[in-house]
Amino acid sequence: MAEATSPMEVAGAIGEHSVEDVRPVGRWRSRLRAGLPGVAFVLILGACFALEPTALSYRGVGLLLSPAVPLIFAAMSVSFVILVGDIDLGLGYAVGLSNVIIASWLVSSPWLAVAGCVGLVVAYGLIGALVHVRRVPAIVATLGASFVWLGLGLTILPIPGGSAPSWLTQFFSWQPPLIPLPIVLAAVVALIGYFLCYRWPFGVVLRGAGGSPDAARLAGWSMLRIRVVAYLLAGAFGVLAGLALTGITASGDVTASANFTLLAIASVILGGAEFAGGVAAPVGTVLGAMTISLTGTVLGFLNVSSDFDTGAQGLILIIVLGGRVFMRRRR
Amino acid sequence: MATMLRRVGGLRRQPWALSFVAVVIIWVAIRVVSGKGTIETMEAALSVAPFLIIVGTGQLFIITLGNGNIDLSIPNGMAVGAFVGVSVMSGSGNILLGFAAAIGCGLAISLVNLFNILVLGIPPIVATLATGLLAATASFVEASRFSGAVPGSLRAFVSADIGGVSWLAIICIVFSIGAGIVLVKTRYGRSVQAIGQSGAAASLADVATTWVIARAYLASGVLAAIGGVLLGAYTGVALGMGDAYLLTSIIIVVLGGSLIAGGRSNIPGIWGGALFLSLLVTLLNVLQLSAAYQDIAEGAVIIAVLAIGGMTKAR
Repeated sequence: MAEATSPMEVAGAIGEHSVEDVRPVGRWRSRLRAGLPGVAFVLILGACFALEPTALSYRGVGLLLSPAVPLIFAAMSVSFVILVGDIDLGLGYAVGLSNVIIASWLVSSPWLAVAGCVGLVVAYGLIGALVHVRRVPAIVATLGASFVWLGLGLTILPIPGGSAPSWLTQFFSWQPPLIPLPIVLAAVVALIGYFLCYRWPFGVVLRGAGGSPDAARLAGWSMLRIRVVAYLLAGAFGVLAGLALTGITASGDVTASANFTLLAIASVILGGAEFAGGVAAPVGTVLGAMTISLTGTVLGFLNVSSDFDTGAQGLILIIVLGGRVFMRRRR
Repeated sequence: MATMLRRVGGLRRQPWALSFVAVVIIWVAIRVVSGKGTIETMEAALSVAPFLIIVGTGQLFIITLGNGNIDLSIPNGMAVGAFVGVSVMSGSGNILLGFAAAIGCGLAISLVNLFNILVLGIPPIVATLATGLLAATASFVEASRFSGAVPGSLRAFVSADIGGVSWLAIICIVFSIGAGIVLVKTRYGRSVQAIGQSGAAASLADVATTWVIARAYLASGVLAAIGGVLLGAYTGVALGMGDAYLLTSIIIVVLGGSLIAGGRSNIPGIWGGALFLSLLVTLLNVLQLSAAYQDIAEGAVIIAVLAIGGMTKAR
């Protein structure tokens, strides 16, 4: 720490420090916590196979996990907002808006679709700047923005419809050798997330700033820049979630992904990230998203009414977060 | 003259003044755009504001607690309260029994919130979000077997007026005065503010923090359930009927000049915030915007107002 000369190294050291602070003291507990998302995923996947043995095949796994792909991108999106200590309660409609933009325009006027998506990413960056400069609470700013996304989405496509270009639908029905596409995509997203958080120099700053904004500021980093970058990344992954949704459903509907707001947050928390910011868990986030997405499937296999899906997701959130906090307290 | 000037200057420093300035601006805008009677516009706003005031007051007490306290279970608490309350009312024919059942639901939801927050130690924002998801499932289940109808007398009561002013609004003004006294004058209200300013200092000063926090959540759950029944009587009981109140219950608190970080809140401000939002909807209707453009305008105006005024005073 004393040798750290560049601001980045200082911020990195701060980031590491905050990780130590929030982790349980015991080494095995820390391993357990890191492994928890994986264990949860294996358990729920095992439950799927036990209830529906035919699912245990290349095609079956692909079908099971295909609906999880948009949520994986959405979870990665909100993970960057949570990383800097904020929360995004407008993500569901933002994903819906990009879904609608892509489904309405990508076939007929591709450049308009690209411009729309870039606009959405820029808008996310602006929200980050607004949260920082005007001290508008992130929860209120993103909730307010969700009205704007919904309204824009309804203006562009008042009723569900639109279409996806054939290359997009073909990509999402592509069957790579040996490993089903959703697993390949999940691995790629996890890898990108890992790179952004742990290998990209600015990712270290993001984590450090999330752990201790004051320390990052003292180390010479602009919190404004850090927030804007985190929100831009969130916007970009939100657009990718919309792209994946369009590729899988081949249509646009701004309200189809409304529940992504909460599911994505649940995925990130389940994945092992700290709600207060500063701790990134990209691999866990991806596993968390797949687990959350499979809960509905398992309940469906058990013939439980889909009315209970939301409640089950709430219960998982309580059990995971409550269990983790409880474990930390009892050292 | 000098004292009067000082008083006007003092008024400008009141945190709730901004929201009332916004109310006047939008009020004048409606007059200019529509040429409609100014009095009628305000009367209409007063008849829809009470529902927001009722649930917003619960939210205000929780936000005042600071330390990330917020209640995101309000919308689904309203829906559950409305479904259960109205079912019991039409089943038993007893309105008070219906309210009692709704209040029971509100207390149950609060207890889940409190278990999550105080026992499990989950951050309130996620804790109440998760409770809200559970309550949503409860409302789905209730809705699937719901066959009740709001008693005519209750429906007449929520839309009754005296000289154009909604009775419910008058009752809510009295309720707000009471809430204001509780917040500013009583030991309980001061404890809430003290916890918001510094939880550690408050508990050193012998404030029973846990119990104070618990009472705020219980109050919010009960108010959400009552607000849900009244809203159900006004607009009809439906799934997702409380969803709009997730954002608006928070917005009116912040718009009213209370600090989102807690510790300093004021009751008059939520009236400014609630009237502003009600008038904003009226203005967007008068402009004959489609529902989609109304959403865009509402979101943009809320963000803009907060960016321009609300937060600068916080520092």
